[in-house]
Amino acid sequence: MAHPSQLGFQDAASPVMEELLHFHDHALMIVFLISTLVLYIIVAMVTTKLTNKFILDSQEIEIIWTLLPAIILILIALPSLRILYLMDEINDPHLTIKAMGHRWYWSYEYTDYEDLGFDSYMIPTQDLAPGQFRLLETDHRMVVPVESPIRILISAEDVLHSWAVPSLGVKMDAVPGRLNQTAFIASRPGVFYGQCSEICGANHSFMPIVVEAVPLEHFENWSSLMLEDA
Amino acid sequence: MLATRALSLIGKRAISTSVCVRGGHGVAKVEDYALPNLSAEQKSLKEKEKGSWVALSNEEKIALYRISFKQSFAEMNQGSGEWKSVVGGVFFFIGFTGLVVLWQRKYECSIEHIFCVYGPVPHTFEGDYKEKELQRMLDMRMGPVQGFSAHWDYENKQWKK
Repeated sequence: MAHPSQLGFQDAASPVMEELLHFHDHALMIVFLISTLVLYIIVAMVTTKLTNKFILDSQEIEIIWTLLPAIILILIALPSLRILYLMDEINDPHLTIKAMGHRWYWSYEYTDYEDLGFDSYMIPTQDLAPGQFRLLETDHRMVVPVESPIRILISAEDVLHSWAVPSLGVKMDAVPGRLNQTAFIASRPGVFYGQCSEICGANHSFMPIVVEAVPLEHFENWSSLMLEDA
Repeated sequence: MLATRALSLIGKRAISTSVCVRGGHGVAKVEDYALPNLSAEQKSLKEKEKGSWVALSNEEKIALYRISFKQSFAEMNQGSGEWKSVVGGVFFFIGFTGLVVLWQRKYECSIEHIFCVYGPVPHTFEGDYKEKELQRMLDMRMGPVQGFSAHWDYENKQWKK
């Protein structure tokens, strides 16, 4: 989760998110360079005493300020497309999970081996244990094995929702009547928080997502326990 | 007269091109800038100007300049000092906004409920809850790479210097 007053991205918990962080650094550096240049030109134009009322055209500068932006755009597009195609690589997932958006909670189904399904409701503020994070904790977490490619199929039962976990670099709309697929690998164990990212009604801000990445053994224990409880 | 002349031009495509051939609508024409009405003294000076300029004294040259131009270059280029009033006004209103914000904070009432600008905050903002939250974020290793927990020294139980 983000710490208070955090401005930048959360630390990456998946390889794709790491790539996105580096790309963001690259694109933001270009943005800062262009903004600094434009600011300098504005200040120079405003404070100069030189005037020339008879300029009509200038081929050289027109060529420069056409070619240079085209080159800059290519420099941005190439890493961007690389990551786009990287996200679509064949990744042979170890596990497939279905995340269904409802008003106003998520439900997860692990149906590869057994029929495991459960709902994940936000813990209301007055029911929080001391130290739990307000508006982010849920009663049941989506537990996944660490360092395993996970395929997640996202849909909705009523209105549009969106399943998003920033530190995993995942956001996918949950569209009723449609099955959206995305994948991720949790590179480190931990708990990763996210929130519903498509307006879905009164409690849109109160249906968070919690993904817990644990070693495979712990995952197997957890899924046996969950099956017993169900 | 003018209207019929104008209307007769409507059908002709030559309107805009003829204007450009004649120099365009932006060209300053002598007819547009008439001299002001001159006093008798100024008229005699204008007559003197038609002769040799060496014969004109400095005051006469300045008087002739002033007939044609309102300001000298120095007068034209001098700043007005208006920016000082603008900056002063900006600071004043920012200061006033600051006073409003201070007033709001004084009367925001997070715990008492007498004169509330903002509503009550949830109990999760109280001091000891925040401490437990912080401890939990460190225990769960939130942001271990460059973020939150990366700045905590787990061996010595303090923030890294």
